[in-house]
Amino acid sequence: MTAALEGSEPDYASLLRELVLLLRAFFRKRMSDRFDDVEDMVQETLIAIHTRRLTYDRTRAFTPWVFSIARYKMIDLHRRTRRTVPIEGLEDILLSEGFEDVVNASVDINSLLETLPQKQARLIRATRLEGASVAEAAAANRVGQSDVKVSVHRGMKALALKVGGK
Amino acid sequence: MMDSEALIRSLSEDLQPVPRQALSRLVSGGLIIGVILSLGVVAGTLGFRADFLTALQEPGFWIKLVYAASIASIAILATLRLGRPNQAPKWLWMLAAPITILGFLGIMELSAAPQSHWMSMWLGKTAAKCPFLVFALSLPIFAALLLSLRRLAPTRLRFAGGMAGLAAGACAAMIYCLHCPESSTLFVFTWYSLGMLLSTAVGILTGPRLLRW
Repeated sequence: MTAALEGSEPDYASLLRELVLLLRAFFRKRMSDRFDDVEDMVQETLIAIHTRRLTYDRTRAFTPWVFSIARYKMIDLHRRTRRTVPIEGLEDILLSEGFEDVVNASVDINSLLETLPQKQARLIRATRLEGASVAEAAAANRVGQSDVKVSVHRGMKALALKVGGK
Repeated sequence: MMDSEALIRSLSEDLQPVPRQALSRLVSGGLIIGVILSLGVVAGTLGFRADFLTALQEPGFWIKLVYAASIASIAILATLRLGRPNQAPKWLWMLAAPITILGFLGIMELSAAPQSHWMSMWLGKTAAKCPFLVFALSLPIFAALLLSLRRLAPTRLRFAGGMAGLAAGACAAMIYCLHCPESSTLFVFTWYSLGMLLSTAVGILTGPRLLRW
């Protein structure tokens, strides 16, 4: 997205193509009662993302911003077409909230890790994502075990600060 | 219906880069246009206070201006933040600071004056029109601010409308300082604040309708 904001057309086009898949899944989960509208909503959200791209804050994670816009568009659709959301629909929405978290996590974890010093990022990847033990990570990276623990701890703390925002 | 691929192609064609400060530039642009309009109204109809240059040397004038300016800056920052989806300012309690300080100054002023003067200090000569003039001056600013907010992506429309209204009201109060001949702190505390509340209320009421996208 940052490249797109700088004006790179190919980056932007490929980003939008990925977003189509993401948004299609987002709306399908939440609009099971009217599949016909899903494509419309995807396109409407794409247009909103495009025309309001100046509201994306480059210091924050990208996918929550996308989902905020998608969610707003969906609420707006409900508002336009009927006054109330049936309870069954509400349950769907609540159940599928987890989906959003999973996607957010996988898309953003990589970009978040890139913001850390290389060593911290590498050790967090090894111990927290790939499931290596502290001893294995220490051996693989030729550093002491306490060094691994400190780096991971510092890195996680920095990440928590970033994700929590202000 | 257009297929998504065609839409993507048309959106990414002729892509204009977005500068980092695009959002704050857009909002401050709207704000400046509104302020110029309101200044024009004051200059054209109400006129600036006759003793403007002497007033500059009195604390009363600066207390008014600083009070309105501090509320304006908090409300403008809040509006900027609410222009982004799903973001809300968590520091609105800071609004309590200028209000408390001004209230405190007002009480000090009262305690220094004889009781028989209290009513006239509170009402001044213009209490009946002050809030409405502040409110009227806020309208061009509110309109300009709303036009720029409409190009952003607020998701809490009522909140965003209210903050835009407060920002407009506080800016209008700053402009009204240039005309208003009153100098009592208690007067400002009551009637200026009431004017700002009016414009905030209009923002809260109209936000959901006017800010939809």
